[in-house]
Amino acid sequence: MGTVVARLLVLDDDDGIRASLSLAMEDEGYLVTGCASAEEALERVAAGEQPDVMVVDLMLGGMDGFSFIRRVRPLSDAPVVVLSARQDKGDVVAALEAGADDYVTKPFDLLELSARLRALRRRAEAALPADDRDVVVLDSLDGPLVLEAGAGTVRRGSSALHLTVTEFRLLCELASPPGRVLSRQVLLDRVWDRGFFGDERIVDVHVRRLRTKVEADPSSPRLVTTVRGLGYRLDLR
Amino acid sequence: MRSWGAPGLRTKVAASFALGATVLSVLVALATYGLVRGYLVQQREDSATRQAFADASYVREGLLTAGAPVSDVLAATSPPAGADVLVHRQGQWYSTSLDAGGDAVPASLRAAVVGGAAGVAWERGRDGPVLAVGVPLPAVGAEFYELAVTTELERTLGALRLALAGFAALTAGGGALLGAWAARRAVAPLHSVAGAAARIASGDLGARVPTTSDPDLATIVGAFNSMVDALQERIEREGRFTADVSHELRSPLTTLVTGVGLLERRREELPPRSRQALDLVVRELARFARTLDDLLELARLEAGAAARERADVAVDELVEQALEAGGRSAGVLVPGGGGLRACVDKQQLSRALVNLFDNADRHGGGLVAVSVVPDGAGVLVHVDDAGSGVPVADRERIFERFARAGSRRSLPGAGLGLSLVTETVRAHGGDVWCAPGPSGVGARFTVRLPRTGTATGAGGAA
Repeated sequence: MGTVVARLLVLDDDDGIRASLSLAMEDEGYLVTGCASAEEALERVAAGEQPDVMVVDLMLGGMDGFSFIRRVRPLSDAPVVVLSARQDKGDVVAALEAGADDYVTKPFDLLELSARLRALRRRAEAALPADDRDVVVLDSLDGPLVLEAGAGTVRRGSSALHLTVTEFRLLCELASPPGRVLSRQVLLDRVWDRGFFGDERIVDVHVRRLRTKVEADPSSPRLVTTVRGLGYRLDLR
Repeated sequence: MRSWGAPGLRTKVAASFALGATVLSVLVALATYGLVRGYLVQQREDSATRQAFADASYVREGLLTAGAPVSDVLAATSPPAGADVLVHRQGQWYSTSLDAGGDAVPASLRAAVVGGAAGVAWERGRDGPVLAVGVPLPAVGAEFYELAVTTELERTLGALRLALAGFAALTAGGGALLGAWAARRAVAPLHSVAGAAARIASGDLGARVPTTSDPDLATIVGAFNSMVDALQERIEREGRFTADVSHELRSPLTTLVTGVGLLERRREELPPRSRQALDLVVRELARFARTLDDLLELARLEAGAAARERADVAVDELVEQALEAGGRSAGVLVPGGGGLRACVDKQQLSRALVNLFDNADRHGGGLVAVSVVPDGAGVLVHVDDAGSGVPVADRERIFERFARAGSRRSLPGAGLGLSLVTETVRAHGGDVWCAPGPSGVGARFTVRLPRTGTATGAGGAA
């Protein structure tokens, strides 16, 4: 079965889906940990079983998927792909706001889930330094922001800002170079590898989440600004 | 809405008010006229009688004392203006006027006076009604008559008639206005009921008529609202049932899709007969998944879920992407139609378009061309196929659920696709219809969507 490409945590209380997903993903080289309940999954992550990427069903007995994502975020920055029911699109936004990175709707195509996982892992690795531009300093209106690509961290002064992998990648895209307007569609392509049919709300929710972390006042953003009808832009001093 | 043949409720109420007001005012006017006229005529007769008696006694005195000729006595009398005095004595008529002779005296009056009684009579003269008063003068063997033209009384009565007619007309008009106003007030609550009904018909099941404290209206409003409640509950129950069933099917289907996907990857490891079986399973599973998706989407659309994620897109690009999403070549898209944009849910609309393409391939002998053209404030997407066309009788029916035109019953594909197209397009404020192909071959399905401004929207799309 070759080398292990990444550790995948599958959280779904449906035995059939968990078993078939495990089989299929192991086929692709993932080391899969299947969990039937959010409590079990949280325990495993807390115990140090750090997954590289997670697939989480929203509808679970006991603790639901939303609560799991909120509770797991302080423990792991790993990308989370949510399994959602098609007609509950409101759930998608709620899950993204809780900290999920992307979603697929059930019944999903195996190829689609693979593509989503690949995109999330690709960007997690791509966010790592490929050259010696190790540290980027963004001279924002609220003081300089230091991006350490190697460590995948952002600092303002001495305090570290806790960004998820996707938020970090989004910030990097906006910052190369700053001052340029990027449409939601472009961001969706670059950060999420989503095509024409991608859901632009993914971008909106991530920008919102990013602002709560990097803006001095998230309600009136001065760093990641909205350009009405066009997209988003990173504004520096 | 309103036909001119049958008057509406408001017209009827206004007309009833006008009619009632007219009858009432005419009755009042007639009674008033009758009373006033009787009074004025009586007054006039009394004064004429008084005058006549005074003049008669003057004539009698003249005739008694001097035995003067009647003409002299008459010449000395001074009847009021417009009045003539006539005296009949010894078979001879005497008059203060040249044009008034004995024949001017009404025969009935004459008979009464000859019989020895004074009397009053009306007669139609040349210059209007004439009031004749007759007094017998037995002491001098004569009859005295005074004839007065009563034009001023006529004028007064004429003015009164005019005033009363005007009053009646005004009252009728006022009645009509009052009726119209009252009718509008009475019908106003029906407008809010009609408005609510229209909103419900257009899919807003939450619409209700505001409750009212008016006891006359409370019943109809209450009945209407509880009817809508019952209707909504029923629709929601049915919708929930479909959604629940589909939802329940989703997990096992996901497992199946994933498992079969796994098998497909290892297709080469399978013996040929198993491969054939696998291909069958893959194809049918895809159809199953698509039908379930369509069902869920339909249930969602019917539950009145409006736009989720509308984006302003170029329609030709959307069509191109939909062609590619369905594994087709974008080559069938007729060039042109660039710059036409619509605000749509990309996934939803693409699914609808793919359904149209699938329909053309499955039932229409193959997809031939797709074109995007402007149409007033909208944009049309034509989907042409090479089939035998759709019979006129079926052109509406094929958009119904599980309907399939004519004898094509054996062809694959659940008949949900076109009804989903209808629901989706309508949720976008558009419409879809079917017509014969442009060159007389095949069928042309056309989707019409409202167009947004031609300005570039969220630009920068790949």
